[in-house]
Amino acid sequence: MKNKNSLLHRLILQTIGHEKRQHYMIPIFTILLSLIFGILVIALLGKNPLQAYYNLLQGSGLAPKASYAGHKGMITDFTSFLNALTPMLFAALAVLIALKAGLFNIGVSGQMLAAGFTATVLIGYSDLPAVIAKPLVVLIGFIIGALAGALVGFLKHRFNINEVVSTIMFNYIFQYVISFLINTFYVDPVSRQSANVKQAGRLTLVDVVVGDYKMDIPLGILVAVAGIAVTAFVLGRTTLGFEIKAVGSSIRAAEYAGIRVGRTRVLAMMLSGGFAGLAGVTYYLGYFASIQPKVLVSTGYDAIAVALLGNSSPIGIIFSSFLITVISKGSTYMSSTSGVQAEIASAITGIILLFSACGAYVKYKVNRWKDMKEEM
Amino acid sequence: MNTIIIDGLSFALPLFIMAIGGIYCERSGITNLAIEGLQGFGAFCGALFAVCIAQYFAGNSPVPFYLAMLFAFLGGMLFSLLHAMLCIRFKANQVISGVVINILAMALTEFLTKQINASIFGAASNKFVLGVSARITVPVLSKIPVLGAVFTNLYPFEIVIALIALIAWYVLYQTRFGLHLRACGDNPHAVDAAGIEVSRVRLVAVMASGALSGLGGICFAYSISANFSSNIYSGYGYLAIAALIFGNWKIMPTLGACLLFGFARSGGYELVKFLEMPSSYQDLVMVLPYVLTLLMLIFFSKKNHAPKALGEIYDKGAR
Repeated sequence: MKNKNSLLHRLILQTIGHEKRQHYMIPIFTILLSLIFGILVIALLGKNPLQAYYNLLQGSGLAPKASYAGHKGMITDFTSFLNALTPMLFAALAVLIALKAGLFNIGVSGQMLAAGFTATVLIGYSDLPAVIAKPLVVLIGFIIGALAGALVGFLKHRFNINEVVSTIMFNYIFQYVISFLINTFYVDPVSRQSANVKQAGRLTLVDVVVGDYKMDIPLGILVAVAGIAVTAFVLGRTTLGFEIKAVGSSIRAAEYAGIRVGRTRVLAMMLSGGFAGLAGVTYYLGYFASIQPKVLVSTGYDAIAVALLGNSSPIGIIFSSFLITVISKGSTYMSSTSGVQAEIASAITGIILLFSACGAYVKYKVNRWKDMKEEM
Repeated sequence: MNTIIIDGLSFALPLFIMAIGGIYCERSGITNLAIEGLQGFGAFCGALFAVCIAQYFAGNSPVPFYLAMLFAFLGGMLFSLLHAMLCIRFKANQVISGVVINILAMALTEFLTKQINASIFGAASNKFVLGVSARITVPVLSKIPVLGAVFTNLYPFEIVIALIALIAWYVLYQTRFGLHLRACGDNPHAVDAAGIEVSRVRLVAVMASGALSGLGGICFAYSISANFSSNIYSGYGYLAIAALIFGNWKIMPTLGACLLFGFARSGGYELVKFLEMPSSYQDLVMVLPYVLTLLMLIFFSKKNHAPKALGEIYDKGAR
């Protein structure tokens, strides 16, 4: 029992032992643990871990680099970081809403692709002026994604088709059909991708001259922040939000309370798909301007982890998306400057998620220590 | 027609063995989204071993292939311990654990492949070249009209898979352990009350799932891609999950689902060749298995239900 009263033990109890703070202190604690673990790994590879971490921040525009190319600076790095962050925020929101209703949307990537492709074809290649084109892209992205999501919800409700299977099937169907359409009608013979969309329809303003800098300004991030606020409001303050959470907690209890389970699930999947659609347009008509055929982006799968890391709360995912995007976005710069391979960055992401998955266990242990201490 | 059966089987069987692993895991009550990562890691271990020992054998020797299968089996099992540890010991969310394993497997194998190629073989390459395994034709049986195609141009792994699948079926449905395993997924408290340790049964189930996934992975590496690279993560693991849910968490219906995927896929390819369409139409035809699945699900999934305690963390004290 003696070592249980050690300094470390007391420190842990004082920081994460307090029950009211545990919902955010435990994720922070596990993230710190995994970052320390990452330090060990990088050190074992014979590289300087602190420098590697600093490189991640530099690559994301959160710390100054040693030198910059012309018209580039910390601020341009940061806006391009925000550009990468936007689709991740939307995708995590999509996963989150479905999770709240007890559904598992593994098809975010497919819904992103469907929405991105439709918006590219309908608006991206048209001659509409920017003022009309950009809102239309957002609208179409949301609608197409929502339709795809609602279909999954409907299949679940009407035919009892497990949403995991149907979303996996739709992932493949979207991937192949769209790859066929791109290769047949919209391919750029040089890049082997879909032809670039026109600037008017793109949700990221590219190479805008601000002062001495040329920066990419992601307009989508504003929509994303609004989306998070709306989601937080809907889930926390409206009847629909309550119904979604009730269905997610217990279908029988929800039915007993007079909630129409089928309708609520379809609605939740619709919202989820809608956000996935927004992730799609901000990815394919924002961060990028074209679609690579036959490739399903990993954002949809990463978003599952991001949503869970963010404690399945709309505010939480801001932080978790931020962290995960810093690591993935900064990894290119890290590998070019300190020679740590970029794959290590995704391994660290995996380790962070791994440690945070044990959050419930940490909480259980800490609370048991606390109880034991009180008994003494 | 023959090509459809031959190619269909060589795709369906590795998928089937991964799905069986998934069934073991999920019937014991542990959600398994990790099949994709487990098959990749297993294939990595097998491929690494095969590449390391290749120089001691003649070019056409089948021995490295069988050893690769063994090591893929073990590698998948080893990596699945992580899933078991997270889900059983640390009571983690099983979905997040599965996703984590996929992410980790992808990052680790990609990194290690590059690192090992650079440091041991002195080549800057991100893959292990394996080649396609030799094929065999069963002498008499292959002469049977139509059905004979099943025994023509077989990959040796197909026979191995068929045997293992048979054993897996027997263990799950005909033995005491199989009964315990299935009970763990439906009512773990009853199993506990009967004096059997739930966590131990689940550990074995997860390990079986890892081993079988690894086996499936190395089969894909030796047939479709002929090497090990990050291309191994092209979603077959998720397809196996779809197959097992489609098969209502039962082994025989799952075989049906896998065969449907396999034959629709090879049939589609043949159709494109037969109609002499440009190769970009292959993409369109590739949709067939998935559309078929959705249509069939509409008719058949009314009765589907998951194991009752699937995804729930087992808590002895809960009532």
